[in-house]
Amino acid sequence: MIHRLRRAAMFVVAMLLVVALWEGYKAIGPAKGGDVLGFGILPRTNDQVMPHVWSMVTGLFDPAQRQGDQTVLSVVLGGAWYSFRIALVGFAGGVAGGMAIAVVLTRFRLAERAILPYLVISQTVPLIALAPLVAGWGGKLQIGDWVWPKWMSAAVLGAFLAFFPVAVGTLRGLKSPNAASLELMDSLAASWWRTLVKLRFPSAVPYIVPALKLGGAGAVVGVVVAEISTGLKGGIGRLIIEYSRQATSEPTKVFTSIFGAALLGLTMAAIVACIDLALMRNRPKESAS
Amino acid sequence: MSTTSGAGSNATASAGTAPNAVEIAGLRKVFNANKANAVEALVDVDLTIAPGEFVSLIGPSGCGKSTLLRLIANLLDPTSGTVLVNGKPAAQARQDQDYGMAFQQSGLFEWRSVVRNIELPLELKGWGKAERRARAHEMLELVKLGDFAGHMPWQLSGGMQQRVAIARALAAHPPLLLMDEPFGALDEMTREHMQAELLQICARTSTTVVFVTHSIPEAVYLSNRVVVMSPRPGRITEIIDVDLGSDRDEDTREATEFYGRITAVREALRGIEMGAGPRGIEDR
Repeated sequence: MIHRLRRAAMFVVAMLLVVALWEGYKAIGPAKGGDVLGFGILPRTNDQVMPHVWSMVTGLFDPAQRQGDQTVLSVVLGGAWYSFRIALVGFAGGVAGGMAIAVVLTRFRLAERAILPYLVISQTVPLIALAPLVAGWGGKLQIGDWVWPKWMSAAVLGAFLAFFPVAVGTLRGLKSPNAASLELMDSLAASWWRTLVKLRFPSAVPYIVPALKLGGAGAVVGVVVAEISTGLKGGIGRLIIEYSRQATSEPTKVFTSIFGAALLGLTMAAIVACIDLALMRNRPKESAS
Repeated sequence: MSTTSGAGSNATASAGTAPNAVEIAGLRKVFNANKANAVEALVDVDLTIAPGEFVSLIGPSGCGKSTLLRLIANLLDPTSGTVLVNGKPAAQARQDQDYGMAFQQSGLFEWRSVVRNIELPLELKGWGKAERRARAHEMLELVKLGDFAGHMPWQLSGGMQQRVAIARALAAHPPLLLMDEPFGALDEMTREHMQAELLQICARTSTTVVFVTHSIPEAVYLSNRVVVMSPRPGRITEIIDVDLGSDRDEDTREATEFYGRITAVREALRGIEMGAGPRGIEDR
């Protein structure tokens, strides 16, 4: 309990430190930017570029439109919520896909050598280039009455970033049981499938949990970038673009949308942390063993 | 090869129509057969083990004793020869879970509680939950760990973990127990204690045991017969009967006859032609 309180306190302290750095530099830095040894690397500190932290906070409660009673805060939260749901779908899809790939690669040794290089290559394709492609393919999809919704393209790109760490982590985990455990399952005449369920998957959990953390972050990044590059409206990615265009008249707005994106990432991290707690309870702690 | 000569009190058990627990004939095992790095792990192995017998396999490293155990367990396939377990081909016996197995590493699943570890073989046999639980608790009583059902494996000492592994191996009441240096990682005190308990458990459940070990006193203390093996290629060189009676206790370890048998096994091992002399054998 004390341990948790301390962690919470550290989080607050870290936040305050960031605020202090921001405001500190703003107080002493040159208003119009400056040169160090001839390089213009010192950012400008005027309110246009570096608004005060408190004006960002109060900016949250300004009306989002000139005429209207919706505040910036509710627009940002709405956008974050919209993107969050897409990211969750992408995360779930990526986890399912990544685990399925890992199972197939474990089952068929040959497939591993054939497929794994392609998985690695897939992650080097820039998401920005892929996003319009996926949106284009999705736009042509129609199965019966079901039409590919636009947000699905963003979810697919989220999944695209999420599946890779999950596939690699799960693959390592599925291969982690030692020879004695595998012999034990053999001696009990357990089928490959039951060995997977009763031995390989439980053994893989400590490898899967950190992979989920990477996958969760990947899903969020994938969705936000996909929103921007496919022009999907309603999400936090789109809001960041919209608000940065208004930076000249309302410089705090873009920062509020970044808060929203950070909140989105934190929520995803919290969900993965809960999964971690649930899966790893009753496991030996690292200090033991 | 003598079949029942050393079985002592077990001779009556084998006199009936019950099939032999293990019957090995003309067994040969070559690893990497037909390749440049082919290794003859076992040649000309014939061995018959009667129901209720306790047989140890002893020999220097590389003599193929673990390989022999794995051939009986059908974890390996023989290059030639036959292995019958309980009168059936070894593969069939494995499918029917006619044997339980315990290794040097207890191999408990760290994500399962003690009781759920013991339930594993029963789960794979498709038993119902209530039946499994009842049997697992019965097994825990047998290995004197009744109070530890809900513990996780890492909370137990090495000796206790090994007892859980034995309970797991015996959970489905298999007629045969295969053990590969199960006490090899334990300290001497725990080891002697576990040996005495294993004998009690086997007597109570009338289980046949094939036991691989490096330790001469362990083999002599536990066994009705000690099978001495030699390497390159792995084969059986001698089978030594140990007639110490069926109720052995701590006093057995100090009996003259016990030392006599230890000497006999040691001489059999010394007789193995291997240049540098036997390695990997513990005299303790």
